[in-house]
Amino acid sequence: MDRLFTRQLTKATDHTGKVDIDALGNLVTAAYEQVERDRRRTDRSIALMAEELDELNRGLESLVAERTTALRDREAQLRAQNLRFDAALNNMSHGLLMFDANGHMAICNQRYLELYGLSADIVKPGLSVRDLLQARSATGTFFGDADKYVASLNAKIASGETYDRMVELPDGRTVSIVSRPMAGGGWVVTHEDVSERRRAEKQIAHMAHHDALTDLPNRVLLRQRLAESLAALEVGNQLAVFYLDLDNFKNVNDTFGHQFGDALLKCVADRLRERVDANVTVARFGGDEFAIILSGLAKSGDAAFLAQNIGEAVRAPYDLFGYAILTDTSIGIAVGPDDGNDPDELLKKADMALYRAKTDGRGTYRFFEPEMDACIKKRRTLENELRTALAKGEFILHYQPILNLTDNVVSCCEALVRWQHPERGLISPAEFISVAEEIGLIVPLGEWVLRKACADAANWPSDVKVAVNLSPIQIGSVNLVPTVINALASAGLPASRLELEITESVVMQNTAAMLTTLHRLHELGMKISMDDFGTGFSALSCLRQFPFNKLKIDRSFIMDLSHDEALAIVRAVTTMAKSLGMITTAEGVETSDQLAQVRMLGCTEVQGFFISRPLPIEKIGRVIAEYAPRKAKIA
Amino acid sequence: MRSCIHAEQISWNETAGWASDNVSAKSADLVLYFGMRAALASGRRYTELRTKFPHAHLLGCSTGGQIHSGDVVDEEIAAVALHFDSTTLKLACAPAKDPAQSRICGETIGHALAGDGSNGKKLAGIFVLSDGLNVNGSELVAGIVSVVGKNVALTGGLAGDAALFTETLVGGDGPPIGHQVAAVGFYGDRVRIGHGSAGGWDEFGPRRRITRSQGNVLYQVDNKPALDLYKRYLGDEADGLPGTALLFPLRIHDPQHPEYELVRTVLAVDHETNSMTFAGDMPEGWVAQLMRGNLDRLAAGAADAAKQAASGLNERDGVAILVSCIGRRLLMGQRAVEEVEAASVELGNRMPRLGFYSYGEISPHGGSGVCQLHNQTMTVTVISEMNE
Repeated sequence: MDRLFTRQLTKATDHTGKVDIDALGNLVTAAYEQVERDRRRTDRSIALMAEELDELNRGLESLVAERTTALRDREAQLRAQNLRFDAALNNMSHGLLMFDANGHMAICNQRYLELYGLSADIVKPGLSVRDLLQARSATGTFFGDADKYVASLNAKIASGETYDRMVELPDGRTVSIVSRPMAGGGWVVTHEDVSERRRAEKQIAHMAHHDALTDLPNRVLLRQRLAESLAALEVGNQLAVFYLDLDNFKNVNDTFGHQFGDALLKCVADRLRERVDANVTVARFGGDEFAIILSGLAKSGDAAFLAQNIGEAVRAPYDLFGYAILTDTSIGIAVGPDDGNDPDELLKKADMALYRAKTDGRGTYRFFEPEMDACIKKRRTLENELRTALAKGEFILHYQPILNLTDNVVSCCEALVRWQHPERGLISPAEFISVAEEIGLIVPLGEWVLRKACADAANWPSDVKVAVNLSPIQIGSVNLVPTVINALASAGLPASRLELEITESVVMQNTAAMLTTLHRLHELGMKISMDDFGTGFSALSCLRQFPFNKLKIDRSFIMDLSHDEALAIVRAVTTMAKSLGMITTAEGVETSDQLAQVRMLGCTEVQGFFISRPLPIEKIGRVIAEYAPRKAKIA
Repeated sequence: MRSCIHAEQISWNETAGWASDNVSAKSADLVLYFGMRAALASGRRYTELRTKFPHAHLLGCSTGGQIHSGDVVDEEIAAVALHFDSTTLKLACAPAKDPAQSRICGETIGHALAGDGSNGKKLAGIFVLSDGLNVNGSELVAGIVSVVGKNVALTGGLAGDAALFTETLVGGDGPPIGHQVAAVGFYGDRVRIGHGSAGGWDEFGPRRRITRSQGNVLYQVDNKPALDLYKRYLGDEADGLPGTALLFPLRIHDPQHPEYELVRTVLAVDHETNSMTFAGDMPEGWVAQLMRGNLDRLAAGAADAAKQAASGLNERDGVAILVSCIGRRLLMGQRAVEEVEAASVELGNRMPRLGFYSYGEISPHGGSGVCQLHNQTMTVTVISEMNE
């Protein structure tokens, strides 16, 4: 019998052995019900459990799917990043290597292989530094002691320092190799081809100390070498410093243009180089200025010999672009330590000597002499006085009449500036115009002359013009046209009574701006004259380009009229001028013979002492008046 | 060695009153008694026992059914009167007003029993009975252990109230009352306290994570209300909550120590806050898994617990106190007696056996040896006294 039923039966049986059937029935029923409940509970819990596990499973599946997608995305990102990293690595300009803590190569980029002509088949991850050096030896890009190299590298990396080297390869390239330890052990090495940079650095250093045009040392380097030479000068020894420039270089530049000037400077530089020993420094200071240091000077005769030598060299004709060009040089020489033992002092004194050589007629050399100092001081004084002269009203105008040979009347008076110095008296333009041009005074001075000349001429008879000389600097100034208009307006002088004289150097510069200015002035009614015609190098074609009304034949031809050549030239000029519709003025007529000759040769006008020297304003009126009665006499 | 403990089993029922098979009652040192709340609530049974055993400590509680020898009974009060030759005893009570005060309550009991007993005898063990509804058993145990130390054997249980969960009573040398914890300490080097605890439940369904809890109040597992989970599994039987929740105890463990598993049963549910109150802590982050019972394995578990408790005893002397979970009885119904029978086989029929169905069992953990509150287990305590 079932144990449970036994118990139920026992419970339902009283002490007399009587079984309470109802009670037994209840117990049995309760037991059945419990079993049924238990079964239902079990079924339900199993079903729910299955349901839950299924849910859970679905959750896990979706989680796995999600994570798989995320993982794939991450992988894709990682791949993209790796690609970018590879691209960056292989497109960098440096060769790059990375070694792990065990000294095995982990990364090597394409640039590294290219740098040393290595093959990717040989250079693979896992190689040691020694293996790589061996591979480089094979391509001829390593030729040192591998053991020593590895030992130095290891020592540096072990102590956490950067190992930095500059290596010259047999093919001439320079490579900068930097090995830096990494935080997690190992190290990274960059190989950079710095050949270009090195060349550029050398080039920059060279440029800093050399003149770009001639490649000669510049002032900085010369000064440095001069200081070194002076410091190295033994007792009893001497050195010479030459300071030279080219005579009339400005003319060449103005006449033929800068290209010509530059070519000439290069030729001069070559000749200077040829004439000196290799240990002699020849420098260009800019413009047409050169300097030479002659060390180990035995006697001053050596310096003179070299100066002559250089003079000859520079003087020899140059063939530039098919033109034969002539130039010359003036040389100033200072000798150390007698003239000084400081580079600047010696250069200054050589410059003074140069100045003297130039004032002494150019094409020569001069040694520094103490009195030159005084000369230079004098020149400085002149400059200073000149600067204040205009404001002080120290300039005056003299006028020289120009006689028209057709009707023997004064047709024009040329205004000539004079400086009435309070101590030195009247100073001629030859002494101060070039200085005024150099110190930038020519433009205000020129303006004053224009205004004064116009104002004076306004008081003359209406058929007498006034001629004013224009400096090339004035013509180059954008203010010239308004200045002239202003001067005429202020004086109330018609433009037709103003003649503007320009020199051949203006014609030779022949710039578009100058040409425009002159044409503009001509259009306004002014006459344009070419002064000192025949002394320069102007081409005849210029006569058509420029709006000339008049050619003033240089006095040198008039003085030489006794010679046939000069006579022929003057005749040719007058004939040509006539055919071009220009009038001609013979300058420097000092005798009656000259007057008769130029008249015979067809000149339109004459100017010179024979007619009248330049006169102060108060006297010119009388000359103009006087010439009218002499009309018959001269004729 | 032979056991010198003298045990006299007595019982009470409505019709026959107190009955015993021995007459040496007056020399008893300790009387343990267990009965339904209805039988104990009046206090008359206590008075009768006090009269009967004027010198003994009287320790008892209300239950979810009594175990008396090899049977499970509801109508009778099961009791045992013990006399010790040399072991001395001390009894302590502490109020248990609020689960939040459980640790303090445990510490109070601990302080009262700690140290030496009369004649300088050392504290060897404690048997504790606690209010079953207003105590966090885990905290109570932790409170006692924190004072007396881990080496003192601590066993006992939480009083029960059938499957009603209304009120539980505990009496310690006084009429049984609610909100009380009472314990008796055993002093001396001859007392032996064997203990064993086993469940026999089978886990089923997915492993879940306790995601929101506070002390012994559980709100969420796997971020879903735990109460909903129980309602789903109980179906129609959800009406019987919280009692029916005992059918599906939760096995929990710290993920860091999966080898120390605990089983928790529900004491109360709160439909408003969607929460469930358990007999012990439900720490957040711990793993929880539903369990269900299989009659045969539950009985085998009880046998296992008895075997553990009796091991080391040369003779089957002494008294065995069986504290089993009310959940087991609810599930087993009329067949609950089978687990008592299974335990009895291990203990031997000569050994007096009594006990009760509780709202929580207290016994050292089989794995860690640390005393803990258990649920859904059969715990067996064997008290004996060795003769020199």
